[in-house]
Amino acid sequence: MSNDQEASVSNIELAADYKGTLGGAVLRHTIIFFVIMFIWEMANRTGFSNPLLLPRPTDIVASIWKIYVTQGNVWYHLWVTFKEAMVGCFIGCVIGIGLAVAAVLSDTFRQFLKPYIIIVEATPRIALGPIFVTWFGFGMSSKVALAALVCFFAPFVNTITGLLGVEEESYELFRSLGATRRQVFWKLMIPTALPTMNAGLKLAVGSAFGGALVAEFISAQAGMGILMARYTMSLNMPSAFAGLLSITLYGFILFRIMEIIDKRVLYWLSDDLMAKKSVKKETKIRGELGL
Amino acid sequence: MAEELVIQGSALGKQFGENVIAVEDANFTIPRGSFISLVGPSGCGKSTLLRLISGLIEKSGGDLLVRNAEVVGPRSDIGMMFQKAVLLDWRTSIENVLLPDEIRGTIDTDAKKRAWDHLQLVGLKDFEFSFPRQLSGGMQQRVALARLLQTGADIMLLDEPFGALDEFTRERLNDELLRIVEGPDITTIFVTHNIQEAIYLADQVFVMTPRPGRIAAQIEIDLPTPRNIDMTTTPEFNNYVQQVRDVLAGHLDGQPL
Ligand SMILES: Nc1ncnc2c1ncn2[C@@H]1O[C@H](COP(=O)(O)OP(=O)(O)OP(=O)(O)O)[C@@H](O)[C@H]1O
Ligand SMILES: [Mg+2]
Repeated sequence: MSNDQEASVSNIELAADYKGTLGGAVLRHTIIFFVIMFIWEMANRTGFSNPLLLPRPTDIVASIWKIYVTQGNVWYHLWVTFKEAMVGCFIGCVIGIGLAVAAVLSDTFRQFLKPYIIIVEATPRIALGPIFVTWFGFGMSSKVALAALVCFFAPFVNTITGLLGVEEESYELFRSLGATRRQVFWKLMIPTALPTMNAGLKLAVGSAFGGALVAEFISAQAGMGILMARYTMSLNMPSAFAGLLSITLYGFILFRIMEIIDKRVLYWLSDDLMAKKSVKKETKIRGELGL
Repeated sequence: MAEELVIQGSALGKQFGENVIAVEDANFTIPRGSFISLVGPSGCGKSTLLRLISGLIEKSGGDLLVRNAEVVGPRSDIGMMFQKAVLLDWRTSIENVLLPDEIRGTIDTDAKKRAWDHLQLVGLKDFEFSFPRQLSGGMQQRVALARLLQTGADIMLLDEPFGALDEFTRERLNDELLRIVEGPDITTIFVTHNIQEAIYLADQVFVMTPRPGRIAAQIEIDLPTPRNIDMTTTPEFNNYVQQVRDVLAGHLDGQPL
Protein backbone atom coordinates (compact mmCIF):
# COMPACT_ATOMS: atom_id res chain seq x y z
CA MET A 1 0.00 0.00 0.00
CA SER A 2 2.39 2.65 1.17
CA ASN A 3 4.92 1.28 -1.28
CA ASP A 4 2.59 2.03 -4.16
CA GLN A 5 2.23 5.55 -2.91
CA GLU A 6 5.96 6.02 -2.72
CA ALA A 7 6.37 4.68 -6.21
CA SER A 8 3.87 7.10 -7.66
CA VAL A 9 5.41 10.01 -5.77
CA SER A 10 8.85 9.25 -7.14
CA ASN A 11 7.38 9.00 -10.64
CA ILE A 12 5.97 12.47 -10.29
CA GLU A 13 9.34 13.73 -9.11
CA LEU A 14 11.07 12.11 -12.05
CA ALA A 15 8.60 13.65 -14.50
CA ALA A 16 9.02 17.03 -12.84
CA ASP A 17 12.67 17.04 -13.85
CA TYR A 18 11.59 17.08 -17.47
CA LYS A 19 9.12 19.97 -17.19
CA GLY A 20 5.91 18.41 -18.40
CA THR A 21 5.01 14.78 -18.76
CA LEU A 22 7.49 11.97 -19.23
CA GLY A 23 5.91 11.04 -22.56
CA GLY A 24 6.34 14.60 -23.80
CA ALA A 25 10.01 14.61 -22.86
CA VAL A 26 10.66 11.33 -24.65
CA LEU A 27 8.87 12.63 -27.71
CA ARG A 28 10.91 15.84 -27.69
CA HIS A 29 14.23 14.02 -27.42
CA THR A 30 13.22 11.58 -30.15
CA ILE A 31 12.29 14.40 -32.52
CA ILE A 32 15.52 16.30 -31.87
CA PHE A 33 17.55 13.13 -32.38
CA PHE A 34 15.89 12.32 -35.69
CA VAL A 35 16.23 15.89 -36.92
CA ILE A 36 19.97 15.79 -36.28
CA MET A 37 20.25 12.39 -37.97
CA PHE A 38 18.25 13.69 -40.93
CA ILE A 39 20.48 16.74 -41.36
CA TRP A 40 23.56 14.52 -41.11
CA GLU A 41 22.12 12.11 -43.68
CA MET A 42 21.18 14.94 -46.04
CA ALA A 43 24.56 16.67 -45.71
CA ASN A 44 26.01 13.39 -46.87
CA ARG A 45 23.63 12.68 -49.70
CA THR A 46 23.91 16.21 -51.14
CA GLY A 47 27.71 15.91 -51.15
CA PHE A 48 28.12 18.57 -48.48
CA SER A 49 30.27 16.20 -46.40
CA ASN A 50 32.43 13.32 -47.62
CA PRO A 51 30.63 10.00 -47.06
CA LEU A 52 33.94 8.23 -47.23
CA LEU A 53 35.13 9.87 -44.02
CA LEU A 54 31.86 10.60 -42.23
CA PRO A 55 29.45 7.77 -43.01
CA ARG A 56 25.71 8.22 -43.21
CA PRO A 57 23.58 7.26 -40.22
CA THR A 58 21.72 4.76 -42.39
CA ASP A 59 25.01 3.15 -43.39
CA ILE A 60 26.08 2.95 -39.76
CA VAL A 61 22.81 1.26 -38.85
CA ALA A 62 23.32 -1.18 -41.71
CA SER A 63 26.84 -1.91 -40.46
CA ILE A 64 25.62 -2.48 -36.95
CA TRP A 65 23.21 -5.05 -38.35
CA LYS A 66 26.02 -6.57 -40.34
CA ILE A 67 28.64 -6.90 -37.63
CA TYR A 68 26.15 -8.10 -35.03
CA VAL A 69 23.84 -10.27 -37.09
CA THR A 70 24.74 -11.23 -40.63
CA GLN A 71 28.50 -11.46 -40.09
CA GLY A 72 28.27 -11.64 -36.31
CA ASN A 73 32.02 -11.15 -36.04
CA VAL A 74 31.91 -8.36 -33.44
CA TRP A 75 30.90 -10.60 -30.53
CA TYR A 76 34.21 -12.39 -30.44
CA HIS A 77 36.22 -9.15 -30.48
CA LEU A 78 34.03 -7.56 -27.84
CA TRP A 79 34.57 -10.55 -25.62
CA VAL A 80 38.35 -10.40 -26.08
CA THR A 81 38.53 -6.71 -25.20
CA PHE A 82 36.10 -7.10 -22.34
CA LYS A 83 38.18 -9.92 -20.87
CA GLU A 84 41.44 -7.98 -21.19
CA ALA A 85 39.91 -4.86 -19.69
CA MET A 86 38.30 -6.63 -16.75
CA VAL A 87 41.27 -8.84 -15.86
CA GLY A 88 43.55 -5.82 -16.14
CA CYS A 89 41.19 -3.71 -14.09
CA PHE A 90 40.99 -6.35 -11.40
CA ILE A 91 44.78 -6.65 -11.17
CA GLY A 92 45.22 -2.86 -11.19
CA CYS A 93 42.65 -2.37 -8.46
CA VAL A 94 44.05 -5.12 -6.25
CA ILE A 95 47.56 -3.69 -6.53
CA GLY A 96 46.31 -0.12 -6.07
CA ILE A 97 44.27 -0.91 -2.99
CA GLY A 98 46.97 -3.19 -1.59
CA LEU A 99 49.69 -0.57 -1.89
CA ALA A 100 47.36 2.10 -0.48
CA VAL A 101 46.53 0.02 2.58
CA ALA A 102 50.21 -0.72 3.18
CA ALA A 103 51.05 2.96 2.76
CA VAL A 104 48.41 4.02 5.27
CA LEU A 105 49.29 1.38 7.84
CA SER A 106 53.03 2.03 7.66
CA ASP A 107 54.48 5.54 7.64
CA THR A 108 57.86 4.18 6.61
CA PHE A 109 56.39 2.47 3.59
CA ARG A 110 54.46 5.62 2.69
CA GLN A 111 57.64 7.69 2.72
CA PHE A 112 59.38 5.06 0.64
CA LEU A 113 56.57 4.92 -1.90
CA LYS A 114 56.05 8.65 -2.32
CA PRO A 115 58.69 9.53 -4.96
CA TYR A 116 57.74 6.57 -7.13
CA ILE A 117 54.10 7.52 -7.03
CA ILE A 118 54.98 11.05 -8.09
CA ILE A 119 56.88 9.66 -11.08
CA VAL A 120 54.01 7.36 -12.04
CA GLU A 121 51.58 10.24 -11.71
CA ALA A 122 53.67 12.47 -13.97
CA THR A 123 53.95 9.81 -16.69
CA PRO A 124 51.03 9.48 -19.11
CA ARG A 125 50.29 5.80 -18.47
CA ILE A 126 49.22 5.20 -22.08
CA ALA A 127 52.77 6.03 -23.17
CA LEU A 128 53.91 2.70 -21.77
CA GLY A 129 51.81 0.87 -24.35
CA PRO A 130 54.61 0.13 -26.86
CA ILE A 131 56.96 -0.90 -24.08
CA PHE A 132 54.39 -3.26 -22.60
CA VAL A 133 53.73 -4.83 -25.98
CA THR A 134 57.46 -5.44 -26.31
CA TRP A 135 57.67 -6.87 -22.82
CA PHE A 136 54.52 -8.95 -22.69
CA GLY A 137 54.04 -9.86 -26.34
CA PHE A 138 51.26 -9.43 -28.88
CA GLY A 139 48.74 -11.56 -27.02
CA MET A 140 46.45 -10.86 -24.13
CA SER A 141 49.07 -10.13 -21.45
CA SER A 142 50.25 -6.81 -22.83
CA LYS A 143 46.63 -5.57 -22.98
CA VAL A 144 45.94 -6.76 -19.50
CA ALA A 145 49.12 -5.08 -18.30
CA LEU A 146 48.27 -1.71 -19.83
CA ALA A 147 44.68 -1.89 -18.58
CA ALA A 148 46.04 -2.69 -15.11
CA LEU A 149 48.44 0.24 -15.22
CA VAL A 150 45.74 2.62 -16.40
CA CYS A 151 43.38 1.38 -13.66
CA PHE A 152 45.86 1.35 -10.82
CA PHE A 153 45.98 5.00 -9.92
CA ALA A 154 42.41 5.99 -9.03
CA PRO A 155 41.82 3.15 -6.54
CA PHE A 156 45.25 3.78 -5.07
CA VAL A 157 44.77 7.49 -4.46
CA ASN A 158 41.16 7.12 -3.37
CA THR A 159 41.92 4.32 -0.93
CA ILE A 160 44.65 6.41 0.69
CA THR A 161 42.37 9.45 0.86
CA GLY A 162 39.51 7.41 2.26
CA LEU A 163 41.58 5.64 4.90
CA LEU A 164 43.28 8.84 6.02
CA GLY A 165 39.84 10.42 6.37
CA VAL A 166 39.05 8.48 9.55
CA GLU A 167 38.64 11.01 12.33
CA GLU A 168 40.85 11.04 15.39
CA GLU A 169 37.82 10.76 17.71
CA SER A 170 36.78 7.53 16.00
CA TYR A 171 40.20 6.03 16.66
CA GLU A 172 40.00 7.18 20.27
CA LEU A 173 36.57 5.62 20.65
CA PHE A 174 37.82 2.30 19.34
CA ARG A 175 40.94 2.42 21.46
CA SER A 176 38.99 3.31 24.57
CA LEU A 177 36.82 0.25 23.90
CA GLY A 178 39.98 -1.86 23.75
CA ALA A 179 39.76 -2.68 20.04
CA THR A 180 42.58 -4.58 18.35
CA ARG A 181 44.33 -3.20 15.28
CA ARG A 182 42.48 -5.70 13.15
CA GLN A 183 39.13 -4.59 14.53
CA VAL A 184 40.00 -0.95 13.96
CA PHE A 185 40.90 -1.77 10.37
CA TRP A 186 37.85 -3.83 9.45
CA LYS A 187 35.17 -2.22 11.56
CA LEU A 188 36.26 1.40 11.27
CA MET A 189 38.81 2.20 8.59
CA ILE A 190 37.49 0.15 5.68
CA PRO A 191 33.80 1.09 6.01
CA THR A 192 34.73 4.76 6.49
CA ALA A 193 36.88 4.67 3.35
CA LEU A 194 34.41 2.65 1.29
CA PRO A 195 32.56 5.52 -0.44
CA THR A 196 35.83 7.08 -1.60
CA MET A 197 37.27 3.69 -2.53
CA ASN A 198 34.22 2.85 -4.59
CA ALA A 199 34.47 6.13 -6.47
CA GLY A 200 38.03 5.13 -7.34
CA LEU A 201 36.89 1.71 -8.54
CA LYS A 202 34.27 3.31 -10.76
CA LEU A 203 36.91 5.49 -12.37
CA ALA A 204 39.13 2.45 -12.82
CA VAL A 205 36.45 0.41 -14.57
CA GLY A 206 35.77 3.38 -16.83
CA SER A 207 39.39 3.67 -17.91
CA ALA A 208 40.06 -0.07 -18.26
CA PHE A 209 38.52 -0.27 -21.75
CA GLY A 210 40.70 2.60 -22.92
CA GLY A 211 43.84 0.88 -21.71
CA ALA A 212 43.02 -2.41 -23.43
CA LEU A 213 42.02 -0.62 -26.66
CA VAL A 214 45.23 1.39 -26.86
CA ALA A 215 47.33 -1.75 -26.43
CA GLU A 216 45.28 -3.40 -29.15
CA PHE A 217 45.81 -0.44 -31.49
CA ILE A 218 49.53 -0.98 -31.12
CA SER A 219 49.41 -4.65 -31.99
CA ALA A 220 46.92 -7.44 -31.51
CA GLN A 221 45.34 -10.43 -33.17
CA ALA A 222 41.86 -9.84 -31.80
CA GLY A 223 39.79 -7.28 -29.95
CA MET A 224 37.77 -4.17 -30.65
CA GLY A 225 40.90 -2.07 -31.03
CA ILE A 226 42.33 -4.14 -33.84
CA LEU A 227 38.89 -4.58 -35.41
CA MET A 228 38.37 -0.83 -35.59
CA ALA A 229 41.91 -0.30 -36.81
CA ARG A 230 41.26 -2.75 -39.63
CA TYR A 231 37.98 -1.09 -40.57
CA THR A 232 39.49 2.40 -40.72
CA MET A 233 42.54 1.13 -42.58
CA SER A 234 40.29 -0.25 -45.31
CA LEU A 235 38.17 2.93 -45.09
CA ASN A 236 35.14 0.93 -44.01
CA MET A 237 34.01 3.89 -41.91
CA PRO A 238 30.42 2.76 -41.25
CA SER A 239 31.72 -0.37 -39.54
CA ALA A 240 34.36 1.62 -37.63
CA PHE A 241 31.58 3.86 -36.32
CA ALA A 242 29.47 0.84 -35.48
CA GLY A 243 32.40 -0.49 -33.45
CA LEU A 244 32.86 2.85 -31.71
CA LEU A 245 29.18 2.97 -30.78
CA SER A 246 29.45 -0.54 -29.37
CA ILE A 247 32.30 0.45 -27.11
CA THR A 248 30.41 3.52 -25.94
CA LEU A 249 27.36 1.41 -25.21
CA TYR A 250 29.27 -1.23 -23.26
CA GLY A 251 31.16 1.43 -21.36
CA PHE A 252 27.85 2.97 -20.43
CA ILE A 253 26.29 -0.34 -19.37
CA LEU A 254 29.33 -1.16 -17.27
CA PHE A 255 29.20 2.24 -15.62
CA ARG A 256 25.52 1.79 -14.79
CA ILE A 257 26.22 -1.64 -13.31
CA MET A 258 28.99 -0.14 -11.19
CA GLU A 259 26.62 2.58 -10.02
CA ILE A 260 24.01 0.05 -8.99
CA ILE A 261 26.57 -2.02 -7.09
CA ASP A 262 27.94 1.16 -5.56
CA LYS A 263 24.53 2.20 -4.30
CA ARG A 264 23.80 -1.24 -2.85
CA VAL A 265 27.13 -1.47 -1.05
CA LEU A 266 26.89 2.08 0.28
CA TYR A 267 23.31 1.68 1.45
CA TRP A 268 23.79 4.21 4.24
CA LEU A 269 24.14 7.01 1.71
CA SER A 270 20.80 6.34 0.07
CA ASP A 271 17.55 7.23 1.82
CA ASP A 272 15.39 4.49 0.33
CA LEU A 273 17.96 1.73 0.88
CA MET A 274 18.44 2.87 4.49
CA ALA A 275 14.69 2.60 5.02
CA LYS A 276 14.65 -0.93 3.59
CA LYS A 277 17.66 -1.99 5.64
CA SER A 278 16.04 -0.59 8.81
CA VAL A 279 12.94 -2.68 8.28
CA LYS A 280 14.97 -5.82 7.66
CA LYS A 281 17.11 -5.37 10.76
CA GLU A 282 14.11 -4.45 12.86
CA THR A 283 12.35 -7.70 11.93
CA LYS A 284 15.46 -9.72 12.68
CA ILE A 285 16.38 -8.18 16.01
CA ARG A 286 12.80 -7.88 17.26
CA GLY A 287 12.37 -11.55 16.45
CA GLU A 288 15.53 -12.44 18.34
CA LEU A 289 14.50 -10.39 21.37
CA GLY A 290 10.91 -11.59 21.25
CA LEU A 291 9.51 -8.06 21.15
CA MET B 1 32.53 4.95 56.35
CA ALA B 2 35.40 6.51 54.48
CA GLU B 3 34.78 7.59 50.94
CA GLU B 4 36.17 5.27 48.33
CA LEU B 5 38.47 7.17 46.02
CA VAL B 6 38.29 5.95 42.43
CA ILE B 7 40.68 8.41 40.83
CA GLN B 8 43.74 10.02 42.37
CA GLY B 9 46.20 12.30 40.66
CA SER B 10 49.27 13.76 42.30
CA ALA B 11 51.74 16.10 40.65
CA LEU B 12 50.30 14.77 37.41
CA GLY B 13 51.79 16.35 34.28
CA LYS B 14 51.62 16.07 30.53
CA GLN B 15 53.92 17.78 28.12
CA PHE B 16 53.65 17.70 24.34
CA GLY B 17 56.96 18.09 22.55
CA GLU B 18 59.51 20.56 23.88
CA ASN B 19 57.41 23.39 25.21
CA VAL B 20 53.68 22.70 25.29
CA ILE B 21 52.80 21.95 28.90
CA ALA B 22 49.19 20.84 28.59
CA VAL B 23 48.76 19.74 32.21
CA GLU B 24 51.05 20.63 35.12
CA ASP B 25 51.11 19.56 38.74
CA ALA B 26 47.52 18.36 38.91
CA ASN B 27 46.54 17.13 42.38
CA PHE B 28 43.08 15.78 42.93
CA THR B 29 41.04 12.96 44.36
CA ILE B 30 37.69 11.88 43.03
CA PRO B 31 35.37 9.89 45.27
CA ARG B 32 33.21 7.11 43.91
CA GLY B 33 29.79 8.20 42.70
CA SER B 34 30.62 11.89 42.44
CA PHE B 35 30.02 14.22 39.55
CA ILE B 36 32.97 16.45 38.72
CA SER B 37 32.76 19.33 36.29
CA LEU B 38 35.97 20.42 34.64
CA VAL B 39 35.68 24.01 33.49
CA GLY B 40 38.18 26.34 31.90
CA PRO B 41 38.95 28.33 28.78
CA SER B 42 39.84 26.71 25.50
CA GLY B 43 43.29 25.14 25.39
CA CYS B 44 43.77 24.88 29.16
CA GLY B 45 44.20 21.13 29.04
CA LYS B 46 40.76 19.75 29.91
CA SER B 47 40.70 17.20 27.12
CA THR B 48 44.30 16.27 27.86
CA LEU B 49 43.48 15.58 31.51
CA LEU B 50 40.54 13.41 30.42
CA ARG B 51 42.66 11.51 27.93
CA LEU B 52 45.26 10.89 30.64
CA ILE B 53 42.65 9.40 32.94
CA SER B 54 41.17 7.31 30.14
CA GLY B 55 44.58 5.86 29.36
CA LEU B 56 44.52 7.09 25.78
CA ILE B 57 47.72 9.06 26.30
CA GLU B 58 50.64 8.61 28.66
CA LYS B 59 51.47 11.04 31.40
CA SER B 60 54.89 12.65 31.42
CA GLY B 61 55.17 12.99 35.19
CA GLY B 62 53.54 12.44 38.57
CA ASP B 63 51.10 9.75 39.59
CA LEU B 64 47.70 8.77 38.35
CA LEU B 65 45.77 5.99 40.02
CA VAL B 66 42.42 4.55 39.05
CA ARG B 67 41.09 2.16 41.70
CA ASN B 68 44.56 2.26 43.25
CA ALA B 69 46.24 1.01 40.09
CA GLU B 70 48.55 3.01 37.87
CA VAL B 71 46.86 3.88 34.57
CA VAL B 72 48.67 2.08 31.76
CA GLY B 73 46.07 2.05 28.99
CA PRO B 74 42.34 2.00 28.25
CA ARG B 75 40.34 0.06 30.81
CA SER B 76 36.92 -1.47 30.60
CA ASP B 77 35.58 0.38 33.65
CA ILE B 78 36.20 3.74 31.96
CA GLY B 79 33.99 4.95 29.13
CA MET B 80 34.22 8.11 27.08
CA MET B 81 31.94 10.41 25.18
CA PHE B 82 33.01 13.25 22.91
CA GLN B 83 31.63 16.46 21.51
CA LYS B 84 30.98 14.57 18.30
CA ALA B 85 28.76 11.53 18.60
CA VAL B 86 31.30 9.44 16.64
CA LEU B 87 28.69 7.00 15.37
CA LEU B 88 29.33 4.55 12.57
CA ASP B 89 27.15 5.77 9.70
CA TRP B 90 26.60 2.30 8.30
CA ARG B 91 25.07 0.97 11.49
CA THR B 92 21.64 1.45 12.99
CA SER B 93 21.32 2.95 16.48
CA ILE B 94 21.14 -0.40 18.18
CA GLU B 95 24.13 -1.73 16.22
CA ASN B 96 26.10 1.34 17.24
CA VAL B 97 25.18 0.74 20.85
CA LEU B 98 26.32 -2.88 20.48
CA LEU B 99 29.79 -1.85 19.28
CA PRO B 100 31.42 -2.30 22.71
CA ASP B 101 30.09 -5.85 22.93
CA GLU B 102 31.13 -6.59 19.42
CA ILE B 103 34.67 -5.44 20.10
CA ARG B 104 34.88 -7.44 23.30
CA GLY B 105 33.28 -10.50 21.71
CA THR B 106 30.42 -10.50 24.21
CA ILE B 107 27.58 -10.01 21.76
CA ASP B 108 24.58 -12.24 22.41
CA THR B 109 20.84 -11.96 22.91
CA ASP B 110 21.39 -10.67 26.40
CA ALA B 111 23.65 -7.88 25.15
CA LYS B 112 21.06 -6.97 22.55
CA LYS B 113 18.39 -6.78 25.23
CA ARG B 114 20.54 -4.43 27.25
CA ALA B 115 21.23 -2.30 24.17
CA TRP B 116 17.51 -2.11 23.58
CA ASP B 117 16.90 -1.05 27.17
CA HIS B 118 19.64 1.57 27.04
CA LEU B 119 18.07 3.09 23.95
CA GLN B 120 14.74 3.31 25.76
CA LEU B 121 16.50 4.85 28.75
CA VAL B 122 18.02 7.67 26.69
CA GLY B 123 14.67 8.35 25.06
CA LEU B 124 15.19 6.76 21.68
CA LYS B 125 12.14 4.54 21.58
CA ASP B 126 11.15 4.02 17.93
CA PHE B 127 14.60 5.07 16.71
CA GLU B 128 16.36 1.81 17.51
CA PHE B 129 16.76 0.97 13.83
CA SER B 130 17.42 4.41 12.41
CA PHE B 131 20.76 5.21 10.84
CA PRO B 132 22.82 8.13 12.22
CA ARG B 133 22.13 10.22 9.12
CA GLN B 134 18.44 9.95 9.87
CA LEU B 135 18.87 11.36 13.38
CA SER B 136 19.22 14.92 14.66
CA GLY B 137 22.41 15.99 16.43
CA GLY B 138 20.74 15.62 19.81
CA MET B 139 19.51 12.13 19.02
CA GLN B 140 22.95 11.14 17.80
CA GLN B 141 24.39 12.17 21.16
CA ARG B 142 21.70 10.08 22.83
CA VAL B 143 22.89 7.06 20.85
CA ALA B 144 26.46 7.85 21.95
CA LEU B 145 25.25 8.01 25.56
CA ALA B 146 23.48 4.67 25.20
CA ARG B 147 26.69 3.20 23.78
CA LEU B 148 28.60 4.56 26.76
CA LEU B 149 26.09 2.93 29.13
CA GLN B 150 26.42 -0.30 27.18
CA THR B 151 30.14 -0.48 27.98
CA GLY B 152 29.16 -1.03 31.58
CA ALA B 153 31.83 1.45 32.61
CA ASP B 154 31.17 3.10 35.96
CA ILE B 155 33.64 5.90 35.34
CA MET B 156 32.34 8.19 32.64
CA LEU B 157 34.51 10.80 31.01
CA LEU B 158 32.45 13.27 29.01
CA ASP B 159 34.28 15.82 26.89
CA GLU B 160 31.80 18.61 26.14
CA PRO B 161 29.28 15.95 25.18
CA PHE B 162 26.49 18.37 24.33
CA GLY B 163 28.68 21.32 23.35
CA ALA B 164 27.64 21.28 19.71
CA LEU B 165 23.91 21.26 20.45
CA ASP B 166 21.49 24.14 20.84
CA GLU B 167 20.76 25.40 24.33
CA PHE B 168 17.31 23.81 24.74
CA THR B 169 18.52 20.38 23.73
CA ARG B 170 21.62 20.77 25.86
CA GLU B 171 19.64 21.60 29.00
CA ARG B 172 17.32 18.66 28.47
CA LEU B 173 20.15 16.25 27.86
CA ASN B 174 22.01 17.56 30.90
CA ASP B 175 19.00 16.79 33.07
CA GLU B 176 18.63 13.34 31.57
CA LEU B 177 22.31 12.69 32.08
CA LEU B 178 22.02 13.65 35.75
CA ARG B 179 19.10 11.27 36.17
CA ILE B 180 21.09 8.43 34.58
CA VAL B 181 24.34 8.84 36.49
CA GLU B 182 22.85 9.69 39.88
CA GLY B 183 23.38 7.25 42.69
CA PRO B 184 26.51 5.99 44.40
CA ASP B 185 27.95 3.89 41.60
CA ILE B 186 28.74 6.04 38.61
CA THR B 187 31.58 8.51 38.78
CA THR B 188 31.42 11.23 36.17
CA ILE B 189 33.87 13.82 34.89
CA PHE B 190 32.18 16.36 32.68
CA VAL B 191 34.16 18.89 30.64
CA THR B 192 32.55 22.17 29.69
CA HIS B 193 33.26 25.80 28.81
CA ASN B 194 30.09 26.89 30.48
CA ILE B 195 30.39 27.98 34.10
CA GLN B 196 26.65 27.77 34.88
CA GLU B 197 26.41 24.33 33.37
CA ALA B 198 29.47 23.18 35.30
CA ILE B 199 27.99 24.28 38.62
CA TYR B 200 24.49 23.08 37.87
CA LEU B 201 25.60 19.53 37.20
CA ALA B 202 28.39 18.95 39.66
CA ASP B 203 29.17 17.94 43.20
CA GLN B 204 32.55 19.50 42.67
CA VAL B 205 33.90 21.92 40.07
CA PHE B 206 37.54 21.79 39.01
CA VAL B 207 38.58 25.12 37.54
CA MET B 208 41.45 24.88 35.10
CA THR B 209 43.64 27.73 33.90
CA PRO B 210 45.88 27.73 30.86
CA ARG B 211 49.58 28.08 30.11
CA PRO B 212 50.52 25.86 31.79
CA GLY B 213 47.31 23.89 32.33
CA ARG B 214 46.67 23.74 36.06
CA ILE B 215 43.76 22.91 38.29
CA ALA B 216 43.55 26.31 39.95
CA ALA B 217 40.67 25.54 42.29
CA GLN B 218 38.40 22.72 43.38
CA ILE B 219 35.05 24.03 44.54
CA GLU B 220 32.51 21.90 46.41
CA ILE B 221 29.01 22.67 45.18
CA ASP B 222 26.71 22.45 48.15
CA LEU B 223 23.38 22.72 46.40
CA PRO B 224 20.53 20.31 47.07
CA THR B 225 19.99 17.35 44.77
CA PRO B 226 18.24 16.58 42.52
CA ARG B 227 19.02 19.85 40.81
CA ASN B 228 16.43 21.82 38.98
CA ILE B 229 16.64 24.80 36.71
CA ASP B 230 15.14 27.22 39.29
CA MET B 231 18.25 26.88 41.42
CA THR B 232 20.28 28.67 38.80
CA THR B 233 18.76 31.99 39.86
CA THR B 234 19.40 31.65 43.60
CA PRO B 235 22.04 33.77 45.36
CA GLU B 236 23.98 30.62 46.36
CA PHE B 237 24.24 29.60 42.75
CA ASN B 238 25.41 33.04 41.68
CA ASN B 239 27.90 32.96 44.48
CA TYR B 240 29.46 29.86 42.97
CA VAL B 241 29.48 31.45 39.53
CA GLN B 242 31.30 34.43 40.99
CA GLN B 243 33.82 32.19 42.72
CA VAL B 244 34.67 30.42 39.48
CA ARG B 245 34.91 33.72 37.63
CA ASP B 246 37.26 35.10 40.28
CA VAL B 247 39.57 32.10 39.96
CA LEU B 248 39.66 32.42 36.19
CA ALA B 249 40.06 36.21 36.27
CA GLY B 250 42.90 36.01 38.78
CA HIS B 251 44.81 33.76 36.45
CA LEU B 252 43.92 35.36 33.20
CA ASP B 253 44.83 38.95 34.20
CA GLY B 254 47.66 40.19 32.09
CA GLN B 255 47.83 36.97 30.09
CA PRO B 256 47.77 37.21 26.31
CA LEU B 257 44.53 35.81 24.94
N1 LIG C 1 48.41 15.67 20.63
C1 LIG C 1 48.87 16.90 20.93
N2 LIG C 1 50.07 17.31 20.48
C2 LIG C 1 50.55 18.54 20.78
N3 LIG C 1 49.89 19.44 21.52
C3 LIG C 1 48.68 19.10 22.01
C4 LIG C 1 48.11 17.82 21.73
N4 LIG C 1 46.90 17.76 22.32
C5 LIG C 1 46.74 18.94 22.94
N5 LIG C 1 47.80 19.76 22.76
C6 LIG C 1 47.97 21.09 23.32
O1 LIG C 1 47.73 21.02 24.69
C7 LIG C 1 47.00 22.14 25.14
C8 LIG C 1 45.75 21.69 25.84
O2 LIG C 1 44.89 21.09 24.88
P1 LIG C 1 43.49 20.47 25.28
O3 LIG C 1 42.91 19.89 24.04
O4 LIG C 1 43.65 19.57 26.43
O5 LIG C 1 42.66 21.75 25.70
P2 LIG C 1 41.13 21.88 26.09
O6 LIG C 1 41.08 22.51 27.41
O7 LIG C 1 40.44 20.58 25.93
O8 LIG C 1 40.61 22.90 25.00
P3 LIG C 1 39.17 22.99 24.34
O9 LIG C 1 38.27 23.59 25.35
O10 LIG C 1 39.38 23.92 23.18
O11 LIG C 1 38.77 21.63 23.93
C9 LIG C 1 46.75 23.00 23.92
O12 LIG C 1 47.72 24.01 23.88
C10 LIG C 1 46.94 22.06 22.78
O13 LIG C 1 47.41 22.74 21.64
MG1 LIG D 1 38.92 19.85 24.57
